[in-house]
Amino acid sequence: MEVAYYPGCSLHQSSQFYDLQTRRIFSELGIVLKEIEDWSCCGATSAGKFNDFLAVALPSRNIGIAEQAGFKEMLIPCSGCYSSHLMSQTRLRHNIPLLNEINGELAFKVTNTLKLVNILELFLEAKDNGRFESKIVKQLTGLKPACYYGCMTRFAYDVPVSDNVENPQGMETLLDMMGAESRDWSYKTACCGASAAINDPDTAFNLMGKIMKNAVKRGCNCIVTTCPMCQLNLDAYQEKFCNKAGIYERLPVYFITELIGIAMGISLAEMNADRHFIDVFGLVKELELV
Amino acid sequence: MTISSTIYNPQSAKTLIDEVIERSNQNIYACYQCRRCASGCTVGEETGITPDVLIRLIITGNREEALDNALVWQCVSCYTCGTRCPNNIQSGRITETLKKMSREEDVIPLNPNIAYFHDAFVQGCTRWGRVNEMEFMGYYELKNIGKHLMNFQFRKAYDEIALQVKLGASMFKQKRLHLKLHTSRGRKEVKQFYKMAVKKKAVLKSDKKSGFGYRHD
Repeated sequence: MEVAYYPGCSLHQSSQFYDLQTRRIFSELGIVLKEIEDWSCCGATSAGKFNDFLAVALPSRNIGIAEQAGFKEMLIPCSGCYSSHLMSQTRLRHNIPLLNEINGELAFKVTNTLKLVNILELFLEAKDNGRFESKIVKQLTGLKPACYYGCMTRFAYDVPVSDNVENPQGMETLLDMMGAESRDWSYKTACCGASAAINDPDTAFNLMGKIMKNAVKRGCNCIVTTCPMCQLNLDAYQEKFCNKAGIYERLPVYFITELIGIAMGISLAEMNADRHFIDVFGLVKELELV
Repeated sequence: MTISSTIYNPQSAKTLIDEVIERSNQNIYACYQCRRCASGCTVGEETGITPDVLIRLIITGNREEALDNALVWQCVSCYTCGTRCPNNIQSGRITETLKKMSREEDVIPLNPNIAYFHDAFVQGCTRWGRVNEMEFMGYYELKNIGKHLMNFQFRKAYDEIALQVKLGASMFKQKRLHLKLHTSRGRKEVKQFYKMAVKKKAVLKSDKKSGFGYRHD
């Protein structure tokens, strides 16, 4: 099975190891990810704050490239990229004059046939097709993850999302299948502040403090996420916002791919997991998962 | 910041509502002030003003307050308000629209850093076709630190540099900094989109100059 793949800027830079893990896990599952040719930046949330036209036009280029290459589905692991592409596609479906104006500039025209999927959808599809059977060699016993979706995967701008908007269960389904005991908690779709960590740190640290406090209170021993922005924020600033909020505990912040990797018997070192700020090796050693 | 009372101004209300509805594509009239958006607002505690108040300000025609408040700048675009609205009003789109309007009308941002950040991001990604984290952060910091220096706030400038150097060093240590320049060969198209966007912005701004609006002079 071949799927188009849009890594986005962050998976080629600060979260390069997420790119590596995504490719590795999907190849183990027998799904071939084909990175689309010469993709460009989606503009994230910044483009929408600059100009509406730009926010629709920037992602449309990538959609056009994937469609003209003959793909039916495109995987976008980064939640920010996923949401901006979804927004652009929806706008272009409903606004034909805008579509024509944008197509006038594009070498690869948008035809509105592509299905955009986030990483959880593709994993769940693989699970339903039985691709995980015989791949799981290790049960994640003792792992009590707080599954953190962040705000961008449940983006519902006139678009039906695959999971529950307020209480998504995708990550829980996957991890519990592998023997983890995921905890129910209140901040799974809360916002970490994203770029506010840089341009408005006081606000962002308060938001992250609340997320962390709830995860600790519910007895979780780690946080799991699919979004590189959430991962970087909760990881790199954890000392700071925990000190500010008076939290003593520190929790490792895993990518979903890392936990699936452990269950498949791939070592953390192979997945470049040494790139976390908060140690991720201690917990899995303590639980004897590696 | 709390807003004690809103005074209804029928004249400015009409133009303001029409403009916001048209640009945000959200039916503001459907709001019946149930305040579900307010209870879900991520930054409500920080800003003191929530989407329901913002909508009220627009409906009553308080242009000045609607364009110049903490929520317009501090909204983190998490779109929780929109997911919870029983009338499907995406208030996140309204704050984004107001942010653009306030910049077109040269309102000085309450938190200029947020404006610098998004400008640096857009310029970075349209220059190379892809965002280079190091490059755009450099541009952002230049503007941010420059602002402190212009106001003779040397201590603040020093603190900012120290903070960012520390973050940069720890990112480097974790091998999460990349110095290679990332570009897209097709960036001509991206640049063309940027030019078109700038043109569209200019048209919106000149419309405003000839018509209604208020300015911070």
